[in-house]
Formats: sequence, structure tokens, C-alpha cells
Amino acid sequence: MRTHLLGLAAFVALGLAYPVLFPSALTIAITILLFVGWATAWDVLGGWAGQVSLGHAAFVGLGAYFVAIGVTEYGLAPWWSALLGMAVAAALAFAWGWLTFGLRGPYFTLSTIAFAEILRLVAINEGWLTGGATGVFIMTLPEPFGLDLFDRQTQYWLALGFAVLVIGIVVALSRGRFGYALRAVREDEDAAMAAGIDPKRTKLKAFMLSGALTALGGGLYGIVLSFLEPHVMFYLLLSVQIALTAIIGGRGTIWGPAAGAMVLIGSGEVFRTTFAEANLLIYGVLILVIVLFAPRGLVGEATRRAIRRRYAKRAQS
Amino acid sequence: MPSALRAEGLTVRFGGNVAVSDVSLALAPGEILGLIGPNGAGKTTLFNALTGYVTPESGRVSLFDRDITRLAPHERARAGCGRTFQTERPFEELTVLENVLVAAFLHEPRRSGAERLARETLEQVGLGDRADQPAGDLNLARRRRLELAKALATRPRVIFLDEVMAGLNPPALREMIAFVSELSRKGLAVLMVEHIMEAIVELSDHVIVMASGAKIAEGAPEAVMRDERVIEAYLGTD
Ligand SMILES: Nc1ncnc2c1ncn2[C@@H]1O[C@H](COP(=O)(O)OP(=O)(O)O)[C@@H](O)[C@H]1O
Ligand SMILES: [Mg+2]
Repeated sequence: MRTHLLGLAAFVALGLAYPVLFPSALTIAITILLFVGWATAWDVLGGWAGQVSLGHAAFVGLGAYFVAIGVTEYGLAPWWSALLGMAVAAALAFAWGWLTFGLRGPYFTLSTIAFAEILRLVAINEGWLTGGATGVFIMTLPEPFGLDLFDRQTQYWLALGFAVLVIGIVVALSRGRFGYALRAVREDEDAAMAAGIDPKRTKLKAFMLSGALTALGGGLYGIVLSFLEPHVMFYLLLSVQIALTAIIGGRGTIWGPAAGAMVLIGSGEVFRTTFAEANLLIYGVLILVIVLFAPRGLVGEATRRAIRRRYAKRAQS
Repeated sequence: MPSALRAEGLTVRFGGNVAVSDVSLALAPGEILGLIGPNGAGKTTLFNALTGYVTPESGRVSLFDRDITRLAPHERARAGCGRTFQTERPFEELTVLENVLVAAFLHEPRRSGAERLARETLEQVGLGDRADQPAGDLNLARRRRLELAKALATRPRVIFLDEVMAGLNPPALREMIAFVSELSRKGLAVLMVEHIMEAIVELSDHVIVMASGAKIAEGAPEAVMRDERVIEAYLGTD
């Protein structure tokens, strides 16, 4: 626990120093921080509870659209719009989980692709609300507490706050009853039930928390882009990227998804600028290397080794 | 004497195959009931029906006079049914302590209380020095004890032990026998499936013999062992 709080403090310190050191590279940092938050939120369900979702773009889109429409059409404050988006994300996660958590194995995963696709179609077809396929522009934003939400610097702080919030929540739950219920359900549902854990309820709670937090980041993403279209917001590739980030970094670890975001999104950006056309190939090779040599993900392998080493040392002495 | 566990007319069918056929039993607090029978007799299936993992076609189960027939496994665990699995199933990615912690959280919602209970339970089963080892690395005898610790940490009132002694070497077996005897002395009702007759004879207050899904004999251990139907059931199918 203490190490994780120290880690969180180091992360915050790094986040505070970054804009001073690299004031002209805020956009990439915002993207990385959004992915830190999304991948960590994804991992509550995908890593800790072991239910892999390939539809988390649905929550990103939901959050973004709620903020955009709430602010431009209904004059709601961005915070309230974001909260509303989170509540709706949690409600939809509950409904979808209720229908699909009976499915074992890959079927839940496949169903989440359909989930995001359904929302994309709704966004395209309900043009009166969402601007249809053309999308929605966020032209003006209120300035709560004198904050200019179009300012990159402001957006950076909000993204940092989002990432820290999500990691903080995972640190808090990792040691407690709910965190262990999640892991038990992932490992073996029958054995979890023998310990009095209700697998379906546990997975539903994880899905709701994961969806709501992802939607919060989505709301911020909408503001950062200030232009929303269904093909971007509910994009399967975005869902895959979020999942991959967490998997590469290490599912079910506190720092894995964050590390994954820094490695994947960071290197993706570097590759794109230096290797141009070849970037996807190199990106693919990087992912392959990690999957082959660190199947538990970067942080996953490291912690497992640390646990073994710590135990071996204690057993010798 | 109130019964801790009572089953009446339990029947479980898998397709056309009757795995448990009209079995009834009763168990008092502090009592040890031994369940024996050749492989495939339906012992594990009976356990699963009592603990909620399979749905019986007919029959009733009650725990301290509360009808639990329709409760899901996790609800029965909360009501006081603790169980081990015949093929041990530790949460492999968790440490030994964390495995027991999962169970300890059932009645100790706070981390500090749950951790205290988990450590006490590990000491009790003799795994105190293994707390930080990954559970997947334990050998068979220790996995068995971990199963037991997980069941005990839920603070059960009835405990179901499915072949926890199989494959243990003589000293480990003696320890396990002493341990189970101690549990019953503390008032826990114990239902155990066991192939090791030494353990059955020494521990059981009462024995039920199953063959082909049905109860074919019951009574005091020595008497049951001499029963001709029992001898025949064992020789006939093996
Ligand atoms: N899940 C299941 N599906 C179908 N048949 C099963 C299942 N579980 C057990 N059986 C069958 O039920 C019978 C009893 O098995 P079991 O309860 O495991 O016996 P025991 O524990 O006494 O060795 C066997 O014929 C077995 O093949
Ligand atoms: Mg069996």
C-alpha cells in the first residue's frame, strides 16, 4: 500500500513537472494521460475481474457526447454533463452485463463489440440529438472558476487529475474486500462462490465502475477534440487500443495499464513521426515482442518475479 | 438435538444418468458424518447438491432448520456452509495469504480484521510460514491444507470435506485426522468424503455408504464395514 501511494506521489510529481519541462508537447501528454485513465479503468473489469471488453469506446463516446450535447444544447455545466454521462454509462454497463455475464469465455468479449456498435448506430441515426454522421462541434464552453477549457494547459491538468483519480481508486480497492472479490472471480468462479462471493454481482459492479470512469475521460476527450463524430468516438480501434494498452502493461496490476499507455501511446507517436509509413509494422513488432516475452504484461512479469524473489529470500533466512 | 444439516430425498440426474438417488441424511453440531463408496458412487455430486453447485431434481436441504434448497452456492456459504473441492482449486495468481483473505472477508469486511483472521487460520492449518508464497507453487499436501484454511476462514457451521486426506503421507495424514477431530470438538458439524478407512473409522460418529447414487448402508463405522452389501459394493465395482 505504502509503495503504491509513493508511486502515486511520484506520478503526480512527474505530472506537475512535465508542462514546465515540455510546454510545447502538451497534446501528446494529454493523450497519454487519457489512455492511462482509460486503460486503468478498463482493467478494473478486464484485468481485476478478468472480463475482457472490446467495447470501451462506447463509454468514451457516451461521455464525450453527454458533455458536448449537455453543454451546447441544454446549457448544462460541463461537470454536470460529465456526471450525467457517467451515470448513464454505469446504467448501460449494468444492463449489458446483466444480459451477457451469463456467457462464459469469449462470448462476453464479442458482445461488447456489438454494444459499442449499437451506440455508434444510435449516434448516427438519432441526428436530431447527436448531429448524426456529421457530428457535433463544441464551439463555446462556459468558463467555470475562470478556467478556459479550450486551453491546452487547462486540459492537461484535467487529464492529469483524471488519470490520478482512476489510479487512486484502483489503489484503494486493490487491498480491500472488493478488490479481492474481483480477483477471486477472475481466477475461479466456483471457488469464489465457496467464499460467499456473488460472481455476477461482483462483475456488474466492476463493469459499472469501469464504464463510468471511462466515460469521465470521454467527456474530457470530447472537450479536447471539440469535434465529435460517431466514427471516431465509438471506433472499434479505440476499444482495441484501450484493451491492448492494459494487456501489454499488465492486466490486474495497479501500474500496468499506466505503463502500457506510456510505452504504447508514447512510442506510437515517436514511430509515427520518425518511421512514417513503417510505423504500424514496428508498432506491431513491439507488441509481439512484449506478448512473447512478457505474457503477463510488463508490470505483471515484474511483480510476479518480485513476489517469488521476496518469498525465496525470506524462506532462506 | 437440533440438526445442523438435513437433507431429505435428494435426487440428482445428469441427462439419463441418476447420480444421486433419493438420499436423506442428518447431521448434528459437533458430529462427524463419513460418506464412503466406490468411485462414481455420487459422493461429490451429493456434496454439490448440498452446497448448491448442482440443482437437485427433487428433495430438500436445510441448515439449522432454515430451508436452503433454493439458495445459490454463495448464499449457502454466507449461511454457514464451508466446503473444499476434491481437486483443490487455489486462486493460483494470489499468494497463500491472499487466498485465505478472500474467504476471511466474508465475515470481516475490514482489511485489518480479515488479515488477522486469515493469518490465524493459516497458523491453525500449519501454513503460517507460507503466507507470502504464490499459491500455485504449493505441493499437494499444502494445497489440501490451503483448501481447508479457505473453508474455515468463512467461519462455517457445517464443513464439507471432499477427500482432503487422499495422497497424504502417514505423518501428514495423522495431522489431518487430529485436525478434523479438533474441529468437531469445537462444535463444527463435519461431513466428509474419504477413501482412507483409517480416517473414516477413527473420526466418524456415523457413516453413510453410497453405491450407484443410492444410500446402501449406514450406521456406526465398525458395523458398516462388516456389512455384506458394503463389501460387495466395493468388490463388485472395482
Ligand atoms: N457434471 C456432471 N455431468 C454429468 N455427469 C456427471 C457430472 N458430475 C458427475 N457425473 C457423474 O455422476 C456420477 C457420480 O459422480 P461423482 O459424484 O463424482 O462420484 P464420486 O464422487 O462418488 O466418485 C458419475 O457417473 C459421474 O460420471
Ligand atoms: Mg468424488
